[in-house]
Amino acid sequence: MSGTGERGSATTKTPADFLKSIRGRPVVVKLNSGVDYRGILACLDGYMNIAMEQTEEYVNGQLKNKYGDAFIRGNNVLYISTSKRTLADGA
Amino acid sequence: MGSTEEESAVKEPLDLIRLSLDERIYVKLRHDRELRGKLHAYDQHLNMILGDVEETITTVEIDDETYEEIVRTTKRMVPFLFVRGDGVILVSPPLRTA
Amino acid sequence: MLFFSYFKDLVGREVTVELKNDLAIRGTLHSVDQYLNIKLENTRVVDQENYPHMLSVRNCFIRGSVVRYVQLPPEGVDVELLHDATRREARGG
Repeated sequence: MSGTGERGSATTKTPADFLKSIRGRPVVVKLNSGVDYRGILACLDGYMNIAMEQTEEYVNGQLKNKYGDAFIRGNNVLYISTSKRTLADGA
Repeated sequence: MGSTEEESAVKEPLDLIRLSLDERIYVKLRHDRELRGKLHAYDQHLNMILGDVEETITTVEIDDETYEEIVRTTKRMVPFLFVRGDGVILVSPPLRTA
Repeated sequence: MLFFSYFKDLVGREVTVELKNDLAIRGTLHSVDQYLNIKLENTRVVDQENYPHMLSVRNCFIRGSVVRYVQLPPEGVDVELLHDATRREARGG
C-alpha cells in the first residue's frame, strides 16, 4: 500500500473502496476471538456483517469446520484480508 | 448515463438469513455454545426465535494429573427459544456443513 | 420492533429467562420495553441449590442486554405470524 491516497490511481484508496473491491475474492476473516474464516466473500454491509461461501473455520491454525454458506455478525470481525490461496478450481 | 441500477442485484449479508427463514440453521454463539433449530423469526440485530432447538455447550477441563485437555459437550433440547442477537458469531444453513 | 411486539403479546405467560451469567429465572412475563428489558413476576430460580440467595426474590427487572435466551411457551408461538412479521420487518429495514 502506498502512503498517500492521491497517488496510484489503480490501487484502492479508502477502506470502503477496498471492501467494495474484494467481493467474490478469496478472503481471510479474523475474529476478535482469534478464529479465522477462509472462503469466498459473497458480500458485506456497513456493520461489517459478512456473507461467505465455501467457508473453512480455523481454530489455532487447525481446520475445525466447513460451511457452504456462512453469515458472520460484524461486531466479531477484527479484520478482512484478501488471500492468495486459490480454492479448488471449478464450480 | 452509464450508471446501472444495481438495486435489484445488491445482495446484503442478511439476505442469507432471510433465505433461511423456516429452515433449520446452525448458529454459533459466544462462549462455546451452538444451536441447531428451525428459524421462525429474526431481526437486523440477529435476535431470533428458533424451534426444536438443540443446544450444544462445549467445555474444556484440564486433568489435574496428566494436564490433558478434556473436551466435554453437553446437549439439551428446547421447544422454542428466543436468542438475543448480541451473542451470535455465525449463522449457517446446517445441511451444508461438512 | 418485531420482538418488542412479540413479547408484548406474550405478557401474562410463563417464560424462562436465561442470563449471560448462566442464571435462569422462570416467571410470569409482566412487561417488556423497546430494549427488551423484562419484568417478571412470581419468579423462581431454576437451579435453586446453586443460587440460594435468590430464594426470596419474587419479582424482578432484567436488563435486556444481560439476556442470553428466553424459553418460550409453545402455545405462545404462532409460526405463521412470526414468518409474516419477519418478512415485513426485512422489507422495512
